[in-house]
Amino acid sequence: MNILKTATGARNHTQCDSLLLGSQCGAHTFPYIEVMNPTAQVEHEASTSTIGEDQLFYCRQRAIPVEDAASMIVNGFCREVFKELPMEFAVEAQKLLSVSLEGCVG
Amino acid sequence: MMLQIRNLRASVGGKEILRGLDLDVRAGEVHAIMGPNGSGKSTLAQVLAGRETYDVTGEVLYEGRNLLAMSPEQRAVEGVFLAFQYPVEIPGVGNLYFLRTALNMVRKQRGLEELDAMDFLALAKERMKLVEMDQSFMNRSVNEGFSGGEKKRNEILQMAVLEPKLAILDETDSGLDIDALRVVASGVNALRSKERALLVITHYQRLLDYLVPDRVHVIANGRIVRSGDKNLALELEKYGYTDVEQDAAGATPSAVGAMP
Repeated sequence: MNILKTATGARNHTQCDSLLLGSQCGAHTFPYIEVMNPTAQVEHEASTSTIGEDQLFYCRQRAIPVEDAASMIVNGFCREVFKELPMEFAVEAQKLLSVSLEGCVG
Repeated sequence: MMLQIRNLRASVGGKEILRGLDLDVRAGEVHAIMGPNGSGKSTLAQVLAGRETYDVTGEVLYEGRNLLAMSPEQRAVEGVFLAFQYPVEIPGVGNLYFLRTALNMVRKQRGLEELDAMDFLALAKERMKLVEMDQSFMNRSVNEGFSGGEKKRNEILQMAVLEPKLAILDETDSGLDIDALRVVASGVNALRSKERALLVITHYQRLLDYLVPDRVHVIANGRIVRSGDKNLALELEKYGYTDVEQDAAGATPSAVGAMP
């Protein structure tokens, strides 16, 4: 993230939310922020969560198989970002997500 | 017999919570399960729904089949429904979409055609009237930002849509004000039928004023220590659980074994 010298009164908010799948992973976020103008307002926020056992069980109790449930939860998590993307990217991103999720739970 | 439980034991982390529980439930019956905190009521609900965190032994027959051998989703498609004590939030997943996915899984099992979004919306709208739910709920994420009462109503809506054979309501009345309690109870009452059995776990007699049970059971120390008709609930309301807890203590195998 770069705020240049002439960007007077610039405003930025960066958010990094990570969702962990399985027990063998972690997440590290490295925000790079360079600000050249002292009037800028800059925020950074990061969070890490996992697919909760409770969420999975809730879905399964509602007849949704565990893989579908995981994919539903991940898609929900990503929706906030996807809905900001132009249509063609959003569709592509959704497809990529469903491909990479196959066989990751269970 | 819809549900036959024999010598059900469940433990978590080496601690035994259910200690040889027996229970028979027929189709069409409403059974209330009462008991003090920590007696095993919620554990029973979770074990019947297939929660995998417990070590379970004993026998549970559901329509004559071994329930304990089924996965949670299998139990659900076969008609076992749990109204959660603490319904889970799933951010970003629409309530309507979630419920339609669930219903279509159940319909597939029953050999019925999947419902498309339009047909489903009509069904959902109709069932939402049962729990006096506003349509705006359907476009929000599953339980996200719902008040306690809204979450409980949402559980009953899901039950109304999924039409289970065996519904287990785990403290559906807790955290409800008197108006919400009436709405939820009348929703559940409307779902009583000859083919459906209800297992209603509750702390309070209050709910049973609206939802009159056929049988009332008291759990203490992980087993049923007393069973009776609806009057048992009134008696408990008046005298508390002290007596039944003493009964339970007297009935433990070690105490019996120690007698000369």
